[in-house]
Amino acid sequence: MSTLITKRDERTQPVRVVAGYAQTQVRNPREPLVSRPPTLSELTGPMDVAGRVRLLGGDIAGHGERQAIGQLMHLKLRVVDEDGAPVAGAVVEIWQANAAGRYIHPNDDDHAPPDPNFYGAARLLTDASGAFELRTVKPGAYPVPDSGGWWRPPHIHFSLFGKVWLSRLVTQMYFPGEPLNEQDRILNAVPDAAARERLVARFAPPTGEPRNALVFEHRIVLRGRAATPAQH
Amino acid sequence: MMIPTGEATIGPFFPPRYVDEGANDLTQWQGGTARGEVIEIRGRVVQEDGAPLENLILEIWQADAGGIYRHPADPRHAQADPGFFGWGRAATDAQGNYRFRTIRPGAPHGRQPHINFMVMFSGLMRILRTTMFFAEGDDPVLRAVPAGRRNLLIAKGKYEFNIRLRGEGETPFFDD
Repeated sequence: MSTLITKRDERTQPVRVVAGYAQTQVRNPREPLVSRPPTLSELTGPMDVAGRVRLLGGDIAGHGERQAIGQLMHLKLRVVDEDGAPVAGAVVEIWQANAAGRYIHPNDDDHAPPDPNFYGAARLLTDASGAFELRTVKPGAYPVPDSGGWWRPPHIHFSLFGKVWLSRLVTQMYFPGEPLNEQDRILNAVPDAAARERLVARFAPPTGEPRNALVFEHRIVLRGRAATPAQH
Repeated sequence: MMIPTGEATIGPFFPPRYVDEGANDLTQWQGGTARGEVIEIRGRVVQEDGAPLENLILEIWQADAGGIYRHPADPRHAQADPGFFGWGRAATDAQGNYRFRTIRPGAPHGRQPHINFMVMFSGLMRILRTTMFFAEGDDPVLRAVPAGRRNLLIAKGKYEFNIRLRGEGETPFFDD
């Protein structure tokens, strides 16, 4: 088994230093990145990460008396590699803010209330078709402190393991039709409009199932010409 | 310009449970113990002004003591050490320090012994990748780095590998 790895197309990836996002100016390398010949070391990578990390369930919306506040939603996600082939058995880590735009995190303490019934993180495995389903509530938008009016649009974070070290991806998914998408400094750091579109989920017209939940569909491509842009 | 600190970051990045207990110890796996010399890698991660970065995520990937990768692309993978997974994750503490406990990798085919690093953090727009070496030597990846910067990829002592994301003495990162 060997994997052909092509360089990522720069236009489909975010610029590294972003105006109005101060941390990017002190944390991204000044020197040009070094091109290296790929060897076995980069064209292998951790397989079966599920054997090394603890999986957390794919239902984070809660049940009964312990239901999270917010719009119930199901996310149907599919993970494919550069050839469009499903990435089966891949570990996908997910985290998001609650419906009020608040994370369960010690650094997030300045604005919106936490929801005692919402932790906001999951760790799942893709099935044989590279798919999985997450039951959650739609995250809220939140203001970025000291940023001159920048709000993050509703989004969900993903960390994905592909088949090799070079396929590792951390990205975010956005929601269609959100006005804040137009001014988000992270989403719009990707120069190519078509690549930005690949970060936005598709709204699936309601069919009555699953009951009381909106459905969004999303596809993540780990590398290649149609790769999903990184988003940190 | 004001540089925001931990209290005014863009938003919490990885969730608290992202790094499992023991994820930075690669010497045990599935009830087995890895073969080879147990080593500890420590280092500090800083930004341009030298400020340490807290709760930054590092991941490593490496060959086993025999220089074999536990992955089907390695022609020798059937002989890989069953007690060694090869991947680990750590978060930096409030002083920017991280620690991995692992085994010293053997030399993979055509390479010097090395450990691949990945850096993830808020303010990094993408994953940053670098590689730690144990000594100077003829290696295609080390050779790709400008001669004057190669020493920044070589661990000091047993084994200290500091990472500076930007500025004087900046760690070389790869564009792959």
